[in-house]
Amino acid sequence: MQLHRARERFARAGARLALIGQATPPHAAHFRRTQGIELPVLADAERLSFKAAGAKLATMDELLGPIVVIKGVMAIAKHRVFQGRQIGDLAQLGGAMLVGVDGTIVWSHMSEDASDIASPAQILHALDGEAA
Amino acid sequence: MFGTATERQHATPPRRADGLADIELPDHEGRLVRLAELWHDQPAVLVWLRHYG
Repeated sequence: MQLHRARERFARAGARLALIGQATPPHAAHFRRTQGIELPVLADAERLSFKAAGAKLATMDELLGPIVVIKGVMAIAKHRVFQGRQIGDLAQLGGAMLVGVDGTIVWSHMSEDASDIASPAQILHALDGEAA
Repeated sequence: MFGTATERQHATPPRRADGLADIELPDHEGRLVRLAELWHDQPAVLVWLRHYG
């Protein structure tokens, strides 16, 4: 997983990195184990945090439309990552945000379709801007 | 189908994380984590995964 590989860069930049997924702690533990991830993974079966973060539900076109599929294939080719097991609401999209110590959301990138995912480089760039 | 939205929505991230702060979620070991704990002493990057993988 790209974020896991970039975890030390996040640590050097002074940020705590946490992943939040749907489903249960055993699912999260299985994900960490199979992916070899050391990052904390929180389980949000009720998707409370997804809603509070403003994450959206996708339309069918935003999940499986031709542009989304092409972008997904390009991402697989570029990053050599494959979509893993989907658990929970299939239409639930994710995203990323940087929260400052005062609770301000300094930067966010919430997905507009299934292929719209912020890269670690984009997140680190936002973090660099916050530190500057 | 698949619980998809019938009309296109827009992601609506808030300006502040107040609505997230008091949410408690279990981690991979079942320990409850209050989200505000993540950014109380250093900036936090929260990533919501669409899928496990």
